[in-house]
Amino acid sequence: MNDKQSVSTTINGHVYTADCEPRLTLADFIRHQCGLTGTHLGCEHGVCGACTIMVDGRTARACLMLAVQADGCTITTVEGMADGDRLTPLQEAFWNNHGLQCGFCTPGMLMCATELLESNPDPTATEVRERLSGNLCRCTGYDSIVTSVLDAAEKQRS
Amino acid sequence: MTITEPVQSQTKYTGARIRRTEDPRLLAGRGQYIDDVTVPKMLQAAVLRSPHPHARITGIDTSRARALPGVFDVITGQDLAAVADQQPVIWFPIPEQRIARTHALAVDRVRWVGQAVAAVVATDRYVAEDALELIEVSYELLPVVADLDAALAPDAPKLYDDWPDNVSGSLTYRNGDADEAFASADLVVGGSFSHGRAFGCPLEPRGCIVNWDSFEGTLDVWLSTQSPNLARDLLAEVFDVPVHKIRVRTPHIGGGFGNKFDFYGEEVIAAVLSRRTGRPVKLLEDRAESFVATGHSRDQRLDFEMALSQDGTILGLRGTSYGVLGGALGTVGSGPPWASVLTSMGPYKIPNLELHLKAVVTNRAPYGSYRGWGAPKGNLVHERLIEMAARELGMDRAEIRRKNFPAPEEFPYFTGAIFTYDSGRYADCLDLAMSKVDELGWRERQAEARAEGRHVGIGYSFHIEPSGYGPSRILNLAGLAHSGFDEAVVRMDSGGKVTIYTGQINIGQGTHTIYSQLAADTLGVPMDDVVVVTGDTDSCPYTGYGTGGSRAATLGGAAILRASERLRGKVFRVAAQLLEASPDDLQIDSGTISVRGTSGPSVTTRDVGDAAYRRLLDRLPDDEMPTLEEVDVFDPVNMATSFGCAALLIEVDPETGTVSMLDCLQAHDCGTVINPMLVDGQLAGGLAQAMGGALLEELVYDEEARLRTGSFRDYLLPTATDIPPFHFYHQETPAPDIPGGMKGVGEAGTIAGVSLVASAIDDALTEFGVTVTRFPVTPPRLLEQIREATSHKEGSQ
Ligand code: FES
Ligand code: FES
Repeated sequence: MNDKQSVSTTINGHVYTADCEPRLTLADFIRHQCGLTGTHLGCEHGVCGACTIMVDGRTARACLMLAVQADGCTITTVEGMADGDRLTPLQEAFWNNHGLQCGFCTPGMLMCATELLESNPDPTATEVRERLSGNLCRCTGYDSIVTSVLDAAEKQRS
Repeated sequence: MTITEPVQSQTKYTGARIRRTEDPRLLAGRGQYIDDVTVPKMLQAAVLRSPHPHARITGIDTSRARALPGVFDVITGQDLAAVADQQPVIWFPIPEQRIARTHALAVDRVRWVGQAVAAVVATDRYVAEDALELIEVSYELLPVVADLDAALAPDAPKLYDDWPDNVSGSLTYRNGDADEAFASADLVVGGSFSHGRAFGCPLEPRGCIVNWDSFEGTLDVWLSTQSPNLARDLLAEVFDVPVHKIRVRTPHIGGGFGNKFDFYGEEVIAAVLSRRTGRPVKLLEDRAESFVATGHSRDQRLDFEMALSQDGTILGLRGTSYGVLGGALGTVGSGPPWASVLTSMGPYKIPNLELHLKAVVTNRAPYGSYRGWGAPKGNLVHERLIEMAARELGMDRAEIRRKNFPAPEEFPYFTGAIFTYDSGRYADCLDLAMSKVDELGWRERQAEARAEGRHVGIGYSFHIEPSGYGPSRILNLAGLAHSGFDEAVVRMDSGGKVTIYTGQINIGQGTHTIYSQLAADTLGVPMDDVVVVTGDTDSCPYTGYGTGGSRAATLGGAAILRASERLRGKVFRVAAQLLEASPDDLQIDSGTISVRGTSGPSVTTRDVGDAAYRRLLDRLPDDEMPTLEEVDVFDPVNMATSFGCAALLIEVDPETGTVSMLDCLQAHDCGTVINPMLVDGQLAGGLAQAMGGALLEELVYDEEARLRTGSFRDYLLPTATDIPPFHFYHQETPAPDIPGGMKGVGEAGTIAGVSLVASAIDDALTEFGVTVTRFPVTPPRLLEQIREATSHKEGSQ
């Protein structure tokens, strides 16, 4: 298990290269080797969605991948969303509609909502709920998150 | 001219929907939660936990674990007990209660699955977990006490050999004459209500980093806690280290819900490991551990009955609340089941009470704090019983509630058992909720659905939320070994900007935003000029209890208001010198101070700051101390009781026993609303948690006292498709005893939500005559009830 393998990934436009134990999860690699702690771990067994990131343009749960599986991949984490200090319209919508309280689930919610709006710019509330049903939030009761996503969708369309 | 109007009356921010100051960095992924904190030379620890619910430890062999490369140290209960006292308990509501305490690592006996027995510290968590597998513990199994009935059985095995049985303590409150009330009643309704084990389950598990410097004699602690001052005091007790040598800092907290109020063994374990290795030690609870290591709650049976007269007037309430505690007492002891008893009369005037509490130990994990803290089960008692009575009497559910409310002029209203409610307009709140049910067209939806043969119901719950815990001396009298005041420091700096220091902790509820709103309005400065500093016992003031008991807006807010008011006085006195005017004639708006009613010269808070800190000569009045800072300590004379009426539209499928929640509303009164958007967020989040507890979440122990629901695959948190949309409506009856008039709101939803779901299910299943009494109402449980009700009906036909 100590035979380390070289991993090289592009995260938020930077190339990160490190020697990793094969058992190192991608989440731990991103958080601790790359210092990108915006990706959160709420369960480490693939249920809560807090660790959701974009791998090659599609959402993935970083706790369910090994770092070595991400070799050669292009990844976006929550830190890669805002443009400098300008939040994206989706992030703004979460801010305006109280779509977060403790903020722990938020990175995963933002990733899934981004993917949803890319494929469906005009979702219904039910569609938003269904798309986010794999992401647990213990604080908000979800309604304000749904409102946030619908608000972002409307702003992006206009 | 005498000035009669208040110096400062405009409120720009208080009451407005203001988006949170906390959010941008959290949205950008720049938050700093406990696992995001790394300190130099840090090691990581992991804990070995008992697989057995009840056993004697006959030996522990750590030699193989110690030999693993990367391992720095391995400790057992014996090692820990040599330097640390047992885990503290702070609530003693039952006189002469037997208090079961244990060390953070079990010394010779384990009493629940998951109890910590050894700990490893290593270069990283992966290695530490490898080493756990190399520790060999020999156990001699003991007979188990798996649940309440097993604990109370006459020949039950005992958890503590020197106790006569498994009862930790009992207590009775009496008011009036319950026997007489029941003897003369026209109607008595009763039931046995039970709530399964659940927990707050913040999405971020708990964690800490402890650095014990043996040369300085200091403990430097990062802790995901809601109560840093309490943690500091308790660490001092456990290690007999002076309080001032301990520093507790909190990072961002990924949800608390009471679970992070309590003081856990992990912080003690990490401290011991740090002391032994001379290195800072991080110890995180992973999700799997959280199901056995974070405080459990709700587990209670309540056998209660209510006596009424024919016209629906409640005459009496009596019954027993059984608190199903774990194998040792948690930080808050039997506090939550005690609070259930105290709130079991809810918003109703009940002249005759006989209320018993029995706290019982079992081979389950310790009982701890969870948002609502007993009140959700008190609510089950009064709301379930009043609806049963309405059905028996053929009365409208709203009518019978309205009939038993104290009128607004009857406040302060003494309940008959400890609490005195400060103020209320209960009937108005009920009417508000009912009118919104009409407005939203729920009754039409229900009628249409019923016409189609679907089972759609409307449920109601009226709740009270004792908040702003509480007057320190009364809390002490009630058995709390801690206080309830709050301290705040409000400082204007040399540049005229404001910093608030408070002991309250932001756990996602938005304290930084509301504190800025309150201070900005009181001082007359822009909100952007105010920052809030929390989470460091070295720089922030003392909060008696911590962030819990719905105290942050009420007591924390009141202390900030009072300090800000006095600071404004000083700002005006300095400005008066600069303007050659009288302080009484001044006004301040957006940080600019001028003489009221004139268009003459003005100064800014920046000028005042400069005069108070830097260029004092001829500018700071001679009798003023330099600097601009005020401290306030607010210890309330009474708690503030908020209240609300919730309604829920649901559909039940009687074929499968599944429940779909379609729409939900709550009319609510938390006194002064500082930020309606954040109040709505608190209500929604609490309701969602209660809905989880009502329908999905249960820490299931089998008859061997083994936990069956130890992951998110079987402990089901509600998702976005389970929870309905919410609508909130506010009325404001200011708290008479809290400056600013705020009442708490953090726990409202969790208190109201479980009986709310029950009421809606009963209504949907009217034709079957079902009364739900056991929670969570899982589909198999509901199906069984429907079948029973059906066969009962058929039998009687
Ligand atoms: S941490 Fe990956 S899904 Fe929960
Ligand atoms: S905001 Fe706290 S878990 Fe979603």
